[in-house]
Amino acid sequence: MKKRVDINQIKQFKPMRKAMNFQEAIIESNRCLLCEDAPCSQACPAGTDPGKFIRQIKFQNYKGAARTIRNNNIMGSSCAHICPTEKLCELGCSAKELNHTIDISGLQQFAINYGIENKLEPMIKSKENMGKIAVIGAGPAGLSCASELAKLDYDVTIYEKDSEAGGVLRWNIPNFRLPVEMIENDLKNIRDLGVKIKCNEDINTKEKANKLLKNNDAVFLATGLNKAFLLSELKDFNNSKSYIDFLRSIQESKKEIKAQIENKIVTIVGGGSVALDCAISAKALGAKRVYVISLEHLSELPAVLEEVELGHLMNIIFKPNTRITSVKSIDNNIIAVKGNEIDWKEENNFSPKNAIEIEDTEFTLKTDLVIQAIGTYPIIKEVFSELETFGKGCIVSKNSLTSHKKIFVAGDLVNGGATAVQAVGEGKKAAIAIDSFVKGGK
Amino acid sequence: MGKASLKVTFCGIEFENPFCLSSSPVGNHAEMCARAFDAGWGGIVYKTLNVDERFKVIMPSPRLNSYNYNGNKFVGLQNAEQISDRTLAENLKDIAELKKNYSTKVLISSIMGFNDDDWAILARESEKAGADMLELNFSCPQMARKDAGHRIGQNYEAVEHFTKIVKENCNLPIIAKMTPNITDMLPVALAAKRGGADAISAINTIRAITDIDIDSLTPMPMIHGKSGITGFSGPAAKPIGMRFVSELYNDKGLNLPISAIGGIETWRDALHFILLGGMNIQVTTAIMRYGYRIIEDMKEGLLDYMNDRDIETIEQICGKAAEKLVDPSEFDIRYQVVSVIDEEKCIGCGQCYISCQDAANQAIIFDLETRKATVDEKRCVGCTLCKHVCPVWDCITYRTVDTLITPHAGRL
Repeated sequence: MKKRVDINQIKQFKPMRKAMNFQEAIIESNRCLLCEDAPCSQACPAGTDPGKFIRQIKFQNYKGAARTIRNNNIMGSSCAHICPTEKLCELGCSAKELNHTIDISGLQQFAINYGIENKLEPMIKSKENMGKIAVIGAGPAGLSCASELAKLDYDVTIYEKDSEAGGVLRWNIPNFRLPVEMIENDLKNIRDLGVKIKCNEDINTKEKANKLLKNNDAVFLATGLNKAFLLSELKDFNNSKSYIDFLRSIQESKKEIKAQIENKIVTIVGGGSVALDCAISAKALGAKRVYVISLEHLSELPAVLEEVELGHLMNIIFKPNTRITSVKSIDNNIIAVKGNEIDWKEENNFSPKNAIEIEDTEFTLKTDLVIQAIGTYPIIKEVFSELETFGKGCIVSKNSLTSHKKIFVAGDLVNGGATAVQAVGEGKKAAIAIDSFVKGGK
Repeated sequence: MGKASLKVTFCGIEFENPFCLSSSPVGNHAEMCARAFDAGWGGIVYKTLNVDERFKVIMPSPRLNSYNYNGNKFVGLQNAEQISDRTLAENLKDIAELKKNYSTKVLISSIMGFNDDDWAILARESEKAGADMLELNFSCPQMARKDAGHRIGQNYEAVEHFTKIVKENCNLPIIAKMTPNITDMLPVALAAKRGGADAISAINTIRAITDIDIDSLTPMPMIHGKSGITGFSGPAAKPIGMRFVSELYNDKGLNLPISAIGGIETWRDALHFILLGGMNIQVTTAIMRYGYRIIEDMKEGLLDYMNDRDIETIEQICGKAAEKLVDPSEFDIRYQVVSVIDEEKCIGCGQCYISCQDAANQAIIFDLETRKATVDEKRCVGCTLCKHVCPVWDCITYRTVDTLITPHAGRL
């Protein structure tokens, strides 16, 4: 069973759960039924293989467990903290039929910490003779693909536009959920493999892109979704932000953002994990009141149940089945949002177009800051304009291939936005596709 | 209220219930024993006395180490405890005081001598102090001297001789306490009988090593850098205790009442020993872990069991299971079973499949789509390994079949 979340830790942006200690790990791993063809292992998009690493913990092969995680999922330290395990590995856990699900993320964290504390040997450096690959974007997909290619002895360089590697993990996930040391641990393993990460390298011109294509056997594009959707009603006000800007400002300077949030009323728009992270962060920074406005009902929220429960614990005010229709503003500052309750035209369709207004349910919420977390889209097409795109600008791809034979893609840029562990899995698959392309050409 | 009674008569002495403290730290002095009696224990085997003028006991420290399994602590307990380190005079005073205050309870004086005089003195002094019975400690596996404890208990002649000395020096019923650190306990028990023992108690602790510190490369408990092979008790020791008790009970030549000891924690454990021939029950390790209070559940549980089955006395059921033990050569091999898996209860872990694949006759089919296990009856050899590895207690059962098996090939 998962450990209780400690709200005091959240308020300090420190890990929200105490790490599983040795005793707890032994007891928890001994609850595992060590299933045949384990459902947990089947469910992991990155192939982390919890069935195996839990068995290794149970049989006191703790370093082996850390090795399994690292070998299968190069972002395993980060994933151990941020995976929506209740929707993935823990979903089919047989132990829940007996009493309760195994705390897989807790065990994964334990194994990772054990590896760090007991100086797990570094990963073997790439021999770098199979070819040269450029990876654009040091997020989960890029890092995963680069590592797999390094394991296959490619010379891999990652080009990252930001000052630090990690992508969404570093900038868009609050530290109470994902401690920076975990990203650093993953990055250390990646660098040990011989992957070169060049930060502050934005491939933002056609010229730079062409140069990469010319100097490399293949280019892997994993720039994710980097632009937030904004409601037209809320656009361009001084006190209306995207979640990307809000969460990043927390990572950059808690002091500065705290001054803006403390004792203020914050309205979050959206019902996903990111919206909940924003809401919990705002509360942790001392907001007086935090509203979460979502089209979905509480039971329909894309956020995992645990986050919703945490929201309740933090006294966040949920306004489910509602939408914002207009704002009251003074001098380009929103002073209140106005909205109404909605119902769905047809069931199980949570698109805004399927929402209908319910009469006489109008409300006005006084608010000092609005944060929107209603989704993101990519801005990449200007540079790689020849690539075929669809929908909000995602790249058309099958098996990581694109309309350009030397360009491969994966992660959010293709799937439209999913979990980090999904991006890791896709990055691994892309590496195989790249390997077979390069070998085929030689 | 049912008609069942927990009263037993053991060596002519009436016990209000058969549950006793065995000779150990749980019955170290009068104040502790008084609390045990108050909690409801029927009798106490007081911590072993010796003639302290000849041998001063000093306890090693640390002297305990628990045997842990799968995150469960205290599956067993290893101890390097010695006999009483209090003076004989103090202990005799306590025995006298306890007998004065608890006249209906049974107090058994456990004694250990190192020569004829010791045994004689301890027998006489215990009787004088008012003890109801004596238990001769022929079995402590970690005595700090080499001429005592289980080494005596492995020597038939010494056991017979010292029992005889005790018999000649007092009129109390005598229990001889056996060591399990021997291939066959019977010759020792018979020697005690020849010496005049009225009953046998078994088992004392099993010589064992429970753990090794893998950094200092030292077994546990680590006593200033050294350790020893010392007595092991608790739930993990129970199967071995049950074996010895049943062997004592089933021997026609011995025919002495048995005080049963070995990892007893619950009424069910106690009942197991009764069914194997114990008329009296002794407990220490469970009290070390849970305290005297567990007597309530032992008494209540055993009474309910008896009342639910219209059993009125413990004597009625004593040894009933021991009678069903036969030599493996006498098993009826025409009786064959196959496993039956309850599909409703199956939670789809596949443990039965793995075990049957790697350790039995590959008779379980595990459907990866439905995650349900089924038995291929043509291959099932009825070993029931699956039933025992299944995490759902009542999911896998078995039923009898008519066909015979051929080795390694499943059923014909």
